Amino acid sequence: MLKELKLYPKYVSMSLRSGLSYKADSIIMMLSFAVTEAVSLATIYLIVGSVPTLGVWTFQTLAFLFGFVLIPKALDHIFTDNLWILAYWAVRHGELDIYMTRPLNPLYQFVAGTFKWDGIGEFIVGIVVMSVFAPMTGIVWTASGIIGLILCAFLGIFCFTGIKLLFASLAFWVKNAGIFLNTVYNFANYAKYPVRYMGKAFASIMFFVIPFGLFLYYPVECLITGESIWWAVLYSSIAALVLMTLSLFMWHSGIKRYESAGN
Amino acid sequence: MIELKNVEKHFKKPIRGKGVWGMVKTLFSRKYTLVKAVDGVSFTVGDGEAVGYIGANGAGKSTTIKMMSGILTPTSGEILIDGKHPYKSKERNAVLKTIGVVFGQKTQLWYDLPLTETYELLRYVYDVPEAEYKKRIAELIELLDMKPFMDAPVRTLSLGQRMRADLAAAMLHNPKTLFLDEPTIGLDVLVKRKLVEAINTLKTEYGTTLILTTHAMSDIELLCNRVIVLDAGKILFDGALDEVKHMFGDKRDITISTKVASDYSGVKEKFGEAVTRIAAEDDGLKTTFTIDAQKLHTSELLNYLFAVYPVEDVKVAETGIEQVVEKLYQNNKADIDGIGTDENRDDDTEEKSEETAK
Repeated sequence: MLKELKLYPKYVSMSLRSGLSYKADSIIMMLSFAVTEAVSLATIYLIVGSVPTLGVWTFQTLAFLFGFVLIPKALDHIFTDNLWILAYWAVRHGELDIYMTRPLNPLYQFVAGTFKWDGIGEFIVGIVVMSVFAPMTGIVWTASGIIGLILCAFLGIFCFTGIKLLFASLAFWVKNAGIFLNTVYNFANYAKYPVRYMGKAFASIMFFVIPFGLFLYYPVECLITGESIWWAVLYSSIAALVLMTLSLFMWHSGIKRYESAGN
Repeated sequence: MIELKNVEKHFKKPIRGKGVWGMVKTLFSRKYTLVKAVDGVSFTVGDGEAVGYIGANGAGKSTTIKMMSGILTPTSGEILIDGKHPYKSKERNAVLKTIGVVFGQKTQLWYDLPLTETYELLRYVYDVPEAEYKKRIAELIELLDMKPFMDAPVRTLSLGQRMRADLAAAMLHNPKTLFLDEPTIGLDVLVKRKLVEAINTLKTEYGTTLILTTHAMSDIELLCNRVIVLDAGKILFDGALDEVKHMFGDKRDITISTKVASDYSGVKEKFGEAVTRIAAEDDGLKTTFTIDAQKLHTSELLNYLFAVYPVEDVKVAETGIEQVVEKLYQNNKADIDGIGTDENRDDDTEEKSEETAK
C-alpha cells in the first residue's frame, strides 16, 4: 500500500506529461464538459419556471444541489476515468496483461495510469454554481454543516468509484460491460432533481439500490430542510463502504477469470 | 526452478446464434463450447535452462506463458516458480519480482513518453537500487544499441526498436526468468538476428532462465538447448534440441544448378546409403541431394559434384526444427488414426450444457 502511495505522484506526472501531446484535445474536452453542465443547469431553470414549486425546491436550491452533485462526480472522473476503458475495451482486448505481470496491484496500476485533468472543468462549474447560490438557498450556514457537506462530497467520490468499478468489472463476465456502466452511471443525473418526489418505487431505487439519491441528493436535502447533515454523512459512509467492498470483491473474482486475448 | 504439475486451462465459449434473435438467445443460453487450451501439461525447468516452447497457432503456448507469468489462473493443476504460485494474490508480487516478460504483440512501454520515463517507473515498481539501475541501463543501451532512440516517444519507434526497448524493460530488474512470447514476430531477418544475439548475450551474461515461444525455428536453434512441443494443449515432445535432431536424423539438402541436365546415378553409386534422396527440378537443371550428415560430410559430396559435373550454383540447407516438428505432428496424427480413436481427438471442443452455470 505504501509503495502504491509513493508511486502515485510519479504516475500522475507521467500521465500529465503524456497528455501534453494532446493538449488541445484535453482543453476542448474540459470546455465541453463545462458547457454540457452549464446547459443542463439552464434546463433546470426552464423546468422550474414552468412547474409549481415543490416544497423547499426553488431554482436556487436546485442549482445548489446541481453544483454539489458535480463535485464528487468531477473528482471521481479525474482519478478513475480509466474504469470506462475497463468496461468497454481492456478486458475484451487483453490489455490488462502488462499490469498483471508487474509486482504491483493491477487495479491500482490500471487506474493510476490515467489522470484526467480535463475533469477540472466540471469541478470548477460545480464550485462556482455552489458559491453563487449558497447565500440564496436560505440554508443557515454553520461550521458543522460545512464540514459535513465536505465530508459527504469526499465520501461521494468513493461511491462513484465503487459504482463504476462494480459495473465495469462485469466486463470479466460479459466482455463488454460499457452499456451496463453507461446506463447505471446516467442515473446520477436524476440526483440533480428532488428524488423524494419521483414516486415511491423510483425513489427507493435511487436511495437503496443505485444510491445516487443517498449520497448526492440527501446531504443537500438535509441542509435545506434543516435536518442534521451528520445523518447524511453516516449514510454516505455506509454507501461508500458497501459499494467499495462489493466492487473490489467483483474485481477480484473477475480478475481470476480474466482470459486475456489471443494473439 | 519452474514446475508445472498437470496444468489445465479451459475457456468457455458461448455458442452464439445468428442474427439479433440469436444474440438475445445467447444471453440466456447456458450452452457453451469448452475449449481446453492447455490440457494436462507438466514439466520442470531448472535454473539457467533455455527452453523453446513450440507448437502451431492455438496449441496453447501463449496460454501457458500467461499462466506462468501471473496473467491467467489455471483451471486445475499447479504452477510453482521457486515454490510460489504466480497467480495467487498473496504470492504474486514475490514471484513477479523475479520474472520478466516480453510479448511480441504487446508493449509495456508508455506510449506517448520517451523510453527513459517507462524505465524510471519500472525502477520504482521493481525497487531497483539507483546505482544498479544506472549500471544496467547503460549495459542494455550498449548491447541493444538503443542510444539513437532513447529520447523519442515510444509511438514513433519502429517495430524493431520497440522490441529491443521492450526487451530492455523486461531485463531492467535482472529477472531470474525471462518469458518471451513470440519476440521476433514481424521483424526482418537482420533485426531478428540482432535481437536473438542480444538475448543470447543477456542469457549467458546473467544466467537468466529462458522460456521462449516462437514460430521462427532459427530462434530456437540459436537460443535453446531444450524443446517442448505442444499440440492441442498436450505435450507432444520434451527433450534436448540435439535429441530431436537425432531422432529424425541430421539431414542436409544440397541443391545444385547446372546448364544442362545430367545423370546423377554415379552419386548414388559412390555414396550409397548416405545420400537418401535425389530430386530433380526445372527439367533436371536443378537437383537436390538429401544426405545424412552423420554418415557423409557436405564437403565430400560437394567436392565430388564439382569434380564430375558442370556445377554453376550451390545451395546448402540444414533440415530445421521446422521439418522435425512437422514430422512430430504427422507421427502423432498417424498414431491416433492407427488406433482409430479420432473421435476423441476432438474432445477439446466438446459440447457441454450445464444447469448451474451462469
